[in-house]
Amino acid sequence: MESINKSDNNFEQCLKCTICTVYCPVLAVNPQFPGPKHGGPDQERLRLKMPSFYEEANKYCMNCKRCEVACPSNVRIGDIIQKAKLKYSRHRPSVRDFFLSHTDLVGTLSSPFAPLVNKALGWNVTKQILDGVLKVDRHRTFPKYSHEKFATWMKKHADEQKQYPHQLCYFHGCYVNYNFPDLGKDLVRIMNAFDYGVELLEEEKCCGVALISNGFVGQARKQAETNLKSIRKAVSQEKPIILTSSTCAMTLRDEYPHVLNLDNKDVRDHIEIATRFIYRMIHETKAFDVSKLTFSNRPLKIAYHTPCHLEKLGWEYYSLELLRLIPNINLTVLKPNCCGIGGTYGFKKENYENAQKIGAPLFKEIEEGDFDFIVSDCETCKWQIEMSTSKKCIHPLSVFAQALDLA
Amino acid sequence: MKIEKLMNEYDVIIIGGGATGAGTLRDCSLRGLKAALIERSDIATGATGRNHGLLHSGARYAVTDQESAQECISENQILRHIARHCVDQTDGFFISLPDDDLAFQNKFVESCLKAGIRADVLDPKEALSLEPSMNPSAIGAVRVPDGSIDPFRLTASNIQDAKAHGATVLTYHLVTELLHRQGVITGVRATDMRTGEQTELHAPIVVNACGIWGAHLAQMAGVKISMFPAKGALLIYGHRVNKIVLNRCRKPSDADILVPGDTICLIGTTSTKVPYDEIDNMYVLPEEVEILRKGAQELSPILEKTRILRCYAGVRPLVASDDDPSGRSVSRGIVLFDHEKRDGLKGFVTITGGKLMTYRLMAEKATDLVCEKLHVNKKCETAHIKLPGSREDKETTLKKLYSMPVSIQESMVYRHGDMAEKMSKNNTINNSLVCECEEVSYGEVSYAIDHMDVHNLIDLRRRTRVGMGTCQGEFCACRAIGILAKQKQICPTREKEELIAFLNERWKGVKPIAWGDSLRESQYASWVYESVCGLGDENKNKEQ
Amino acid sequence: MACGIRLQEAGKKCVIISSGQSALHFSSGSFDLLNTLPDGTKVANPIEALKELKAQNPKHPYTKIGEEKFAHLAQEAQRLLSDAKIRMVGSYHANHYRLTPFAITKPTWLTMADYVYAEQPDTFAWKNISVVNFTAYLDFHPNFFADKFRRMGMSVRDIEIDLATIANNKNNLSEMRSTNIARLFENEKAFANFVDLLKSKIEKSDAVLLPACLGLEHTDIVETLSNILGVTVKLLPTFPPSVSGICAQHLLKQRFMNLGGTYMLGDTVNKVEFEDNRVTKIYTVNHNDIPLRGEQYVLCSGSFFSQGLLALPNDIIDPICGLDIDYISDRKQWFADNTFDKQNYGSFGIKTDEHFLAIKDQKTIDNLHVCGASLGGFNALKEGCGGGVSLLTALYAAEEILGNKK
Repeated sequence: MESINKSDNNFEQCLKCTICTVYCPVLAVNPQFPGPKHGGPDQERLRLKMPSFYEEANKYCMNCKRCEVACPSNVRIGDIIQKAKLKYSRHRPSVRDFFLSHTDLVGTLSSPFAPLVNKALGWNVTKQILDGVLKVDRHRTFPKYSHEKFATWMKKHADEQKQYPHQLCYFHGCYVNYNFPDLGKDLVRIMNAFDYGVELLEEEKCCGVALISNGFVGQARKQAETNLKSIRKAVSQEKPIILTSSTCAMTLRDEYPHVLNLDNKDVRDHIEIATRFIYRMIHETKAFDVSKLTFSNRPLKIAYHTPCHLEKLGWEYYSLELLRLIPNINLTVLKPNCCGIGGTYGFKKENYENAQKIGAPLFKEIEEGDFDFIVSDCETCKWQIEMSTSKKCIHPLSVFAQALDLA
Repeated sequence: MKIEKLMNEYDVIIIGGGATGAGTLRDCSLRGLKAALIERSDIATGATGRNHGLLHSGARYAVTDQESAQECISENQILRHIARHCVDQTDGFFISLPDDDLAFQNKFVESCLKAGIRADVLDPKEALSLEPSMNPSAIGAVRVPDGSIDPFRLTASNIQDAKAHGATVLTYHLVTELLHRQGVITGVRATDMRTGEQTELHAPIVVNACGIWGAHLAQMAGVKISMFPAKGALLIYGHRVNKIVLNRCRKPSDADILVPGDTICLIGTTSTKVPYDEIDNMYVLPEEVEILRKGAQELSPILEKTRILRCYAGVRPLVASDDDPSGRSVSRGIVLFDHEKRDGLKGFVTITGGKLMTYRLMAEKATDLVCEKLHVNKKCETAHIKLPGSREDKETTLKKLYSMPVSIQESMVYRHGDMAEKMSKNNTINNSLVCECEEVSYGEVSYAIDHMDVHNLIDLRRRTRVGMGTCQGEFCACRAIGILAKQKQICPTREKEELIAFLNERWKGVKPIAWGDSLRESQYASWVYESVCGLGDENKNKEQ
Repeated sequence: MACGIRLQEAGKKCVIISSGQSALHFSSGSFDLLNTLPDGTKVANPIEALKELKAQNPKHPYTKIGEEKFAHLAQEAQRLLSDAKIRMVGSYHANHYRLTPFAITKPTWLTMADYVYAEQPDTFAWKNISVVNFTAYLDFHPNFFADKFRRMGMSVRDIEIDLATIANNKNNLSEMRSTNIARLFENEKAFANFVDLLKSKIEKSDAVLLPACLGLEHTDIVETLSNILGVTVKLLPTFPPSVSGICAQHLLKQRFMNLGGTYMLGDTVNKVEFEDNRVTKIYTVNHNDIPLRGEQYVLCSGSFFSQGLLALPNDIIDPICGLDIDYISDRKQWFADNTFDKQNYGSFGIKTDEHFLAIKDQKTIDNLHVCGASLGGFNALKEGCGGGVSLLTALYAAEEILGNKK
């Protein structure tokens, strides 16, 4: 039972040094946001006194976790604000919020009609309607839907995957499933090259990060419980669980216990992003012998963008190390700036302008750098970069797969 | 207040700016008397500002002292009505833990009911669901109408009302002599502690409302009152862990009350006799901290992991009962001495003993006596006339402030009730925050400085909570001193001195519990103020 | 950071793990080398004061470094900062003087070039100046500065600028901090408006002094302003956060990463493994079961504030490696009653040998170097040597690792 007055988000460790405020990308462009320190630890004390102290302006928090990364006192500021939003906000989610966050539903409905849907979403008229009626900003470009879901493709290849000597589970996430199965296929090919067969979890639902941030806690919890059950089963069969999406990884590992109060201690450490798994296999257990691989040797000048949630996990190192295995590569790590999209945040009309302002320094650095393309693990960062700059954005695993000529 | 050699005739002079003095000032003023209050420091700096802030239901006294209990519950109801904006209607539990004798609970409930105090026995599980922070191993729980009350704002409100009815208030004035002629007290001589100027006030009656310092004042008047200072220490935790006051259901002992108040909760208290000459220098000892921590954790186990913000100690004004000057039977009840009858000294009255809760009743008794002596036939009305701040309900005041940011509205109204309207010039400057931990705006600080007898940062803190949050003045002190300096035309040298005094006052309360996060905070504050800003160097340097 | 940079310069592969951003964020704009001896004597020339320091406090980190190396390391520090494009004035030969946010004059070693400073205490060449502040910006006290300068005989013009008039953003004044204001000025239009407004108000001033709320990204913004206005423009320090400190941090990080270093921010070391008096590997919260392995390790986790040292009610420990601590076990002696008096806890720190190698269970750990505020034996607040100890011991550790035993 959850205590009424016990705040388990360690806000008392806050020393009011205000460093988090310096690094909040939202506060930099939107003065109406109380800021991480104020909306988090400061106001949490006041909210415990009286719930009416909750400021609706906390909705501007993107949950990028940059405040947590900067905090010298290890305060989980983002979590404090997320929990407060769920507990105290009187804002009712709108129809638009429903469609933006129920990705499984929208994906399942759109997939069969993908070519039509994709075309329609590209028309200006559609965008104007979405803008006026649902308040989804008309400047936004939508990711295209794939006609064949990744899960469907996997089912077709399930048997051949079982032939490999080792098995692992791949939590594909909504993006790979409904929009971009190619990334999933790249992952499968890479893993196969290392003698691992890939299978799906018994039942996988959307991780729920958008549901949580849009206030659909009940639905998020239901999906989370399903996911955890499947994950537990896989863990009991000693299968590692890997992901390609940094946000899904963070959600499964951290948002579930911190915000949804679902205990996942027994499985958390088994969930990791694919690049970390590969790193461990190469450098720690030495199960993958890199010398056996041949690369294409095509020179590349690329820049890596660290997604906010991956920076929070501290795992960009693994993606970078994977890229560094590729010969003839000129790799720049872009400055740690948020791209601004914040998941569903940047789609909303009221946030669009700020989202673009937040991402402006990143876009500038990209345009000035004369790179062949950008690399990043997060799909929403990819959409944002591709919409706001002239460069394509590719997942490190896809870059690796291409360099290996595994196509 | 700038007063040279004033020869004002007052009807009554009250010495002591605690709740009792302030309450008496108000009562006298409401009855039409021309009254003055003299206080050597700021309001509520004695026992008034150093207790639990508990709005007693009286349950604690029911078993041993029915009279006190009845007084308490009656005043409890009155204060909820007249001082609504200072009171948090939390209710209270008396919980029995496995080590406690459940038979005591029965006796306890019986005594409460006898005194007219509502006491409902609850199933411990039900109590736990109402107050999840309480010790889950409790074997019994009784619900009583406890609450919490802010003593600073209560005192300030009484003072505001008294001033509105013509009273004069002189804080930072030390009484150096009681003037008398032919065995009759005729007034006082006092020194302005800030300027050194002396002043004389004359009145036919002087009321001694100095709490524990009353013995010293009485001595000045040539009469003897035996007082036995009993020190009590308390700890303040970083946030409001419990919603409902938690008491131990057993014979009153150390560390058995956990009171939620505003943004914090506190645990009290201890009881140690101290020599009279040390009452101005109270420090919390490590042993006291241990007793308090242990008691707190028994009431609410989560407190083991909760940050301790600071600690403080106060001195109880325990008066020897006149029949036993040796001090063995000490009275906690209200003590009113008519020195004309008792000692043959006309014009001097002492009101002491009692507790914060019963201040109004004490003031009533004192004022009744004063009126009797002055042949003024007016009845006491303080029990039903609402104090400023409580005259309008919260929703109405909030509506008037609707255009301000939500948290600032709520903060100001929570602290000042209907008086918040006066502080609410809604513009960007006034809405900027001075204290981010406690949500105190520029407007509120500015108003307090101009209208609430604020002379330094410590006074400001009492009225607005600036510096009472988790940063303990780190950031807000710097900002507040700037505003104070601007409005009071204080020179930079004095500004720095005030800041140093404020920071030292905060340190005094943090030092006994300086470990973990509290030490980190202090080191950070030292770094900022001493190293970055250079304060404290001036003690050594000859700076301008 | 200094240690990492020095090592990367020499071609060593380094990783820095930091729990959060550093104390540079609260910097005054200056680094102190040595201001006061333990007995209270003021120091004008740190190098010359070392002998006396050794006599008064043989345990001081500077004493361990030794006079000869001291000069060399101080010079290295100056070079390193300059190579990282952090423009500072000052030298280790003689202290110059800075003004604090409360306009108090203090000696110091290096000061950010854009800040007000003087070679001798309180001597400035200006005759009439303008002191600027922003409406409702409470972290800056122009009256302190104006008062000080007036006493020096200068004529001072107070200028107040309402930020709402130069930028369309209605600022959220609940978080009106120096960094928010600095961000405003990164916008070209706002900056242009600001310049115009200033031009109309400064009249004939020898110098225009602004609160240090500029220069978060464009490090030459003050110079630009100066050129446009045609008058000296200097910064006066404000209450934290420190814009120049943040900028310096970013420049150092950039230099480190440009040299090939890896920086892991927001991670915490939670386990250190030892074998045969050496550190073999370390584990962190984020990297969990994948340890980090190195030949040499440098511990610069800071003091209590940075969680490098932990104070329990009756004990002081090193929460990361469990190293031996130099401290007084009687808690009553940790503190002084007056918060501005010397606090003994300020001198507590990790025990090290003559070469700043850590000591654990009374044995020296051969590859674990300790530097900065984690060290004991000195009092940064009272001696005014925090910046110096940090930089010099960091470079000492780097040189030990590189085998430079001059």
